[in-house]
Parts: sequence; structure tokens; C-alpha cells
Amino acid sequence: MTKYNKLKSLGASVLLMGAAAMTQAETIKIALAGPVTGAVAQYGDMQMIGAKMAIEKINEAGGVNGNKLEGVVYDDACDPKQAVAVANKVVNDGISFVVGHLCSSSTQPASDIYEDEGILMVTAASTSPDITERGYQMVFRTIGLDSHQGPVAGNYIADTVKPKNMAIIHDKQQYGEGIASAVKKTVEAKGVNVVMYEGITAGDKDFSSLIAKMSKANVDFVYYGGYHPELGLILRQSAEKGLKAGFMGPEGVGNKDISQIAGQASEGLLVTLPPSFDADPRNKDLVESFKAKGQDPSGAFVLTSYSAVQVMADAMKKTGGTDTDAIQKAMREMTFDTPTGKIQFDAKGDLKEFDFVVYNWHADGTKTVAK
Amino acid sequence: MLEAFLYFIQQTLNGLTIGSTYALIAIGYTMVYGIIGMINFAHGEIYMIGTYISFVVIAGLTMLGVQYIPIILLVALLAAILVSSSFGWAIERTAYRPLRGANRLIPLISAIGMSIFLQNYVVLAQGARDVAIPPIITGGWTFGTSDFEMTLSYMQVMIFVVTFLCMFALTQFISKSRMGRACRAVAEDLKMANLLGINTNRVISATFVIGAALAAVAGLLLGLYYGVANPHIGFIAGLKAFTAAVLGGIGSIPGAMLGGLILGLTEAYTAGYFSTEYKDVVSFSLLVLILLFKPTGLLGKPDVEKI
Repeated sequence: MTKYNKLKSLGASVLLMGAAAMTQAETIKIALAGPVTGAVAQYGDMQMIGAKMAIEKINEAGGVNGNKLEGVVYDDACDPKQAVAVANKVVNDGISFVVGHLCSSSTQPASDIYEDEGILMVTAASTSPDITERGYQMVFRTIGLDSHQGPVAGNYIADTVKPKNMAIIHDKQQYGEGIASAVKKTVEAKGVNVVMYEGITAGDKDFSSLIAKMSKANVDFVYYGGYHPELGLILRQSAEKGLKAGFMGPEGVGNKDISQIAGQASEGLLVTLPPSFDADPRNKDLVESFKAKGQDPSGAFVLTSYSAVQVMADAMKKTGGTDTDAIQKAMREMTFDTPTGKIQFDAKGDLKEFDFVVYNWHADGTKTVAK
Repeated sequence: MLEAFLYFIQQTLNGLTIGSTYALIAIGYTMVYGIIGMINFAHGEIYMIGTYISFVVIAGLTMLGVQYIPIILLVALLAAILVSSSFGWAIERTAYRPLRGANRLIPLISAIGMSIFLQNYVVLAQGARDVAIPPIITGGWTFGTSDFEMTLSYMQVMIFVVTFLCMFALTQFISKSRMGRACRAVAEDLKMANLLGINTNRVISATFVIGAALAAVAGLLLGLYYGVANPHIGFIAGLKAFTAAVLGGIGSIPGAMLGGLILGLTEAYTAGYFSTEYKDVVSFSLLVLILLFKPTGLLGKPDVEKI
């Protein structure tokens, strides 16, 4: 055989292999985008186990229109720049469905790309109201908004805690500052005296100056808008410096790592979280499946991620295809029966109803409903 | 009145605490620059490794049932210094020595590469998440009235004392010992020192080792102070320490100490009297101002053109 012929047969076999792949049963790929590494990777874990469990359950039940679902994990490390890179990669990989991203500041820039490319995105964790404020068609979420969560926290502070001098601290990021300003608005409308409203830099380790300042202003209650690494250190250093104040934070601080960082100082921290869907008796079997795998279903975003996959799958079944435009139209009309309750989307892609609950956090990483 | 004064003292102490550790890390930058005229961008990672090693040792000894705290700290300190110094030495051997005499840009790039490598190495070896240890040295003194209580923790005192001892030992070493003299000679003129029979390679290795040992001390101290570490803490700490070194005059050891303290105090006063948000803005504006009026930094010597 001449060299030319060899090349020709090689080319033919490559073509044949391609054709063989085409005829196999199709899988519908779903990109699972969120932080797998970095400071808030715990939340990424919650999202990944929830979404993977949903994919597994749907496949066990026969898949979607005869096709299997497949989850592909992408790591954005909660970094807006990386999130854009991930979104471009999802486009290049030819995937039309995304569960994610997790951090609001990642979801926002990534969603621009998904909307342009007609990729359907459902976030199970980003709570910033701005994300769905831009009239996008492809962007949905299976969690509530900071504009709901802020008032829940603010009302609890004003009605139950009744602080004399309150401080509101945030991490200057979209999520943290957004929720901090929502809380500020609510408590000030109810006449709470807010003596400090300041931003810190995410990644900072030394809060001694800030704590001295709060103790000089006789602050007796602190609301922190942001994630757990910074609040954990603020709690720890406040305890060491003898600042006697109560603390509260949004769902971004509510995971077991805050207890690891702050130790005893995390006892009694107030946190607003989605309701404990894993305690709902309707989800008993599902909770057992998580436990059988050694996974923890109590994380705030586990079951919202499960729902994110399920709503896409249900809408695919309804439309009988994978045309994202038809699916997004169907999603706005359907009612979905998910582990996070019966859910419906409004025209913006937000849930019509979603409650946040105030919890007491404990030093061993557990939580109880605050009275 | 008294409250205002106590508050001022409190912010000063906070600033000095953080400033001392900036100074410890800054010395590594300034010594390397003084001798080979290059910025070791992997130095922040050495600090991070120092923190990790001390955490591992502290956790290990506590698990083995050792309860006497001074022993735990001493072993952690020695282990951190030993491992970090080996890293410092290895960085010089692999990322700098093969490039000696090359264009200045090339070792800079290899140092940045080394920094990325070390960060990701620790991510793979220890995981990307925050690791935490419980507070080991707790308690302190409090002064003041019911309106404002000033606290000075034992941990802060330990940071001052250890930093002071390290600085003192380093100054003695540089001015009195044979190796210190060689260091100064190499900093003055590397080629000439070589001609006069000084083993310049050994001096350069020693510089990296000393810088790394001090960064390891800072790693242990800050690790104990904050109780938390992740593989990316080296970047910010390195940036701050580098700023301190430039502020004080890069190449000058007293300059690095002064720069560290000034940076720490500026941050504390800005956060305390103005706003935490503007902490970095004010520190870096100060840096720009000082460099505008004194381009060599506060204690830096003007670079005399050698003919």
C-alpha cells in the first residue's frame, strides 16, 4: 500500500468512527457550573450532589424522551472572570443546558453569554435580584431573591432582636452588598438605629480595627452580607477581643465550615436559609438515597439544585425535544412538582413563591429554627 | 477623652501587630533584591507553606496527646522554618540559578511560574478549602472604662516579641558574622565579591534560606493569630509585604522593617478612623506619594551607576 492509500484508509476509518458515534443513543448533556475549588467550594458541592442525584433518578426512571441525561462539571471558583471562561467553554462544547452558576457575581456575566447563545440556564443558588432584571428569556432560578431574603432578616432583627446600635458590614460583592442594603432598608424603615454601614475586602484576614471601631460605637448587633470565610474570622476575632454583640448573616454564611473557623464563637449566629426541604416528609426517600451515598442532603442548595435539573427535564418531556426556546416558553407556563415544593416561574424567570427561614446556628454545625 | 486615647492606642497596637508580620515577610523580598536585584515573586507562597506546615504539626502533636503549649509551638516553629527554608533553597536552585546572567525579565517569569506551581501544589496536596485550627493562645489584658475596653492579647504580645527577636538576630547576623559580611559584599558588587574569593552562589542560597525562614516565622505567627489558612493567602500577604519593602526602600533591611510598620499602622488608622473600605486605597496612595517624592523609598540608597 502506498503512503497515500494508507492515509486515505485512515481518513475513512476516522469518518466511520464518527458515524458510529452519531448512531449511538443520544445523551443530553447538562453543564453543572459552580465553584469546585476556592473559598466557597462547599456550596459548589451542595449544587453538584443535588444535580447529580436528580440526573441519576431521572435516568433510572427512563431518561428524557428516551435519552439519558449526563452532567458535566465546570469549575468557576466563584470568580467572575473564570465564570465567563466557563460559559464560553460550555458554548464550545455544544451544551445547551446549564445548572448554575452559584455565586451571583459569576452568574451575572455568564448569563449574558448563555442568553446570546440560546443556552438554557437555571441557577439553584444565586439570589441577587439583578440577574433576572434584564429581560432575559433563558435565565431561571429555583431559589428566592435577596429582595425577599433581606426583608425576612430585617424584620426579624427589628421585631425580635431589637438592637440599640446596629452595624451592617458587607464584602462589597454583588451578593453581599445587595443583601446588606436590603436589610438596611428594612431595619431603618422600622426605626432601628444603624450606626455603621461598611464594606470589607473579601479575602481579608485582619478585622481587629473594624472590631475596635464597632466596640467603640457600642454596637450590640451585627448583620454581615457575604460568605462564611470572612464572617468566620470576624466572629472568631470578636470573641477574642471581647465584643459582645449578636451576629446574623444570609445563606452564604450558613455551612459547617463557619463552625470550623469560628469554633464556639459561631454558637447562636442567626442565619436566613431556604427552609429545610430535607426535613419535609415528602422527601424521605430522596433523603435516604443521599444518605446511602454518604452525602449530606441538608445543605441549603442541594435540593434547589435537584429541582433545577428536574424542571429542565420535565419541560424537555413536555416539548418532546431539546429546543431551548420552546423549553423556556413551556417552563413559564408549567407547574412543577419538585422536592422544593410545587413551583411556578414568573415572566422574569423567578419563582412565584419562595420562603426564607431564620435559623439559629450552633457550634457543632447544626441549625435549629429561631423563635 | 480617655476613651478616645484608648481607642487610638488600640488601633496603634492593631496596626503594629499586622505591620510586624508584613515586615517579617518583606525582609525576604528586600534581601533577595539587595543581592541579585530581582523580585522573588514566589516568596508569598513560602509564607503560605510555613502556615500549612505549622498547622499540620500543631494538629499532629495535639492528636498524639502533647498538651504542653510551648513544646507544640517550638516544634511547629522549627518544622516550619526547616521545611520553608528547604523550599526557599530549592526555589533558588531550580528557578533562579539556571537563569543567572539571563535577561532580567526571564527569572521574573520563572518566579511567577514557581508561585503558580506552589499554590496549585498545595491545592492538590491539602485541598482548596480553608483549614482552621482552634485558638491556642487565648486571653490577654483589658484596660479601660465600660464605654470602651482596650484589649491587648497575649498573641499580639507574642507577635511583637518574636518579630523583635528575629529582627535583632538578623541585624546581628548581617553586621557581625562572616556570612553576613559576605552578604553585604555581594550586595555591594557581585562580580567583585566573586573575584575576591567569596562563594557568591552560597551567599545567594543563604539569602533565600534566611528570607524563607523569616517568612515561615510570619506564617506560624499569623496562622496562630487568625487560625485560618488557605492555599491563596500567600498572594495577598506577598503583595502587602512587597509594598512594605518598596515603601521602606527595596534592598534595605531597616527599610523593610519600617515599611512594614508604616503600612500596618496606615491600614489600622484608616480602618479605625475613616472606613475599612478605603484601607487599601489609602495605603497604596501613600506608596505612590512616597515614590513620587523619594523614588528609592524611605531608606533606600540611590542606585549609583557603576562604571
